[in-house]
Amino acid sequence: MQRRDFLGRGAAALGASALLAGCGGGDDDSASGLAQEMAAPDAQTLAVSPARPKARVIVIGGGMAGATFAKYMRLWGDTVEVTLVERSATYTSNIMSSMVLTGQRTLASLGYSYATLVRKYGIRLVVGEVVAIDPVAVKVTLASGQVLAADRIVLAPGIDFDPVAGLTDARLMPHAWKAGVQTQLLAAQLAAMPAGGTVVLTIPRAPYRCPPGPYERACLLADWLKARKPRSKIIVLDANPDIVVEKENFGPAFQGLHASVLEYRSGVVIDHVDAAARTLYFAGGGSQQAQVVNLIPGQRAGALVQMAGLANATGGRFAGVDVLDYASTVSGASKLHVLGDASATTQPKAGHIANQEAKVCADALTRIFAGGQPDPAPVTTSSCFSTITMKQASWLHAMFQYDPASAAMKLVPESFGASAGWSGDNLDDMNTWFRSLMSDTFA
Amino acid sequence: MSNFFLPRPQVAIWMGLALAAGQPALAQTPPPGRLLASNCFQCHGTNGKGPGFESLAGKSSAEIYKDLLEMRSGQEGSGLMVKHAMGYTDAQLRLLSGWLAAQR
Repeated sequence: MQRRDFLGRGAAALGASALLAGCGGGDDDSASGLAQEMAAPDAQTLAVSPARPKARVIVIGGGMAGATFAKYMRLWGDTVEVTLVERSATYTSNIMSSMVLTGQRTLASLGYSYATLVRKYGIRLVVGEVVAIDPVAVKVTLASGQVLAADRIVLAPGIDFDPVAGLTDARLMPHAWKAGVQTQLLAAQLAAMPAGGTVVLTIPRAPYRCPPGPYERACLLADWLKARKPRSKIIVLDANPDIVVEKENFGPAFQGLHASVLEYRSGVVIDHVDAAARTLYFAGGGSQQAQVVNLIPGQRAGALVQMAGLANATGGRFAGVDVLDYASTVSGASKLHVLGDASATTQPKAGHIANQEAKVCADALTRIFAGGQPDPAPVTTSSCFSTITMKQASWLHAMFQYDPASAAMKLVPESFGASAGWSGDNLDDMNTWFRSLMSDTFA
Repeated sequence: MSNFFLPRPQVAIWMGLALAAGQPALAQTPPPGRLLASNCFQCHGTNGKGPGFESLAGKSSAEIYKDLLEMRSGQEGSGLMVKHAMGYTDAQLRLLSGWLAAQR
């Protein structure tokens, strides 16, 4: 305890000096009369896109990162015009979508419209497909031929999947890792599986979207199989050498609570598949046949990032960014910003922290448009809940502080940890968290 | 007022820009603590006004800061908020408490 207290005070002292050095320290500035705090716009002003904007921003992709960015850029940005380009008219939440597989939630209950963002925050919504991005002229071309120009472009395209050899029809082995049609397909295949069947769930090599997500889904499906499909089992094939995160809960859940129906194998990489025969072949030999296969392939940044030439990190899979403002690190592309799962940072790829990355970016652009510099000491939070059974959940939490030495967001060890086990109360909290997070993002 | 003379590059830049443009010496900056406090919004609602867990907006700065310090001390069990409070520095806790208290 003494040691931790000492470390805590050391960190506090460092943080205070960093804040004084860079943040401006509001009280000092007010006293000096040099700076004025931006007043929050009233609801009426906010609801209308500005006639004479001080700057224009195009956001591409209306998921957790893109929607949050659009909202906070208008809320904080002081007459900044925000255009959100999105190919779908509504967003379907990936968070909670494994509960569609067990029939605990409907897909419709996970749908979020952009109408509130448009009505309350004066965001211009363009439903369309982007076909070209010009990083120098800062222009976006849509499939319709429409060209949009701006001062900055924010890309939040999420993830795309690596191709899987032999997977001629993705419906035969659904990933259900982007909520929607794939989720419904997997739910239907699970429901139709006879008792005594085998389900396989594959986990790709990290980094992938939502690190605890596949383990959570495995637990949830194991619990569902016990109740609904007697004598059935689930085999988890993990390409990683061990459980990627929250082993303190998923380990005991796999080896104890669900051991009678769940088999976990680590270090199993899928080489190719026979989709029609629902058989997976492993790199280095071996295979597994099943009645239902939930194949979650390896992941990379959404195609938009490749199109714009921004995939310069993680072996060309994700976009390198400066985490003070999420600007691309590609030379000549500094007016392009990449948020959320598509970016390569030390932070997890997940919705809660994507929301915070978006706020850091909106705050940075607010400062930049006013002639200033990004906040030199941003803080981000990753928080989530995992269903361990259909009625109980665990939680996982981590925070990141900007580290000037590495120019990266650095995990704060004291903030990193999971619940001691799982409970029904945690599941109630999970529902409260989800409602609040989605409201902060879409309303 | 003594802080006025502390060397702060940002202020110098702002002053330079403002003077160059022939404007009064005035620059706009986001309120201190707002970006930090926005880490609360995912669970306590935008601006700490819900929906979600306990509403934070309008509580006194001293009360929010005291609650967070108690959680940060580790004496308040092992809940999620204990981990969360441990992720901030003391200076950051003061800043975000101050900003939340000013929300009406």
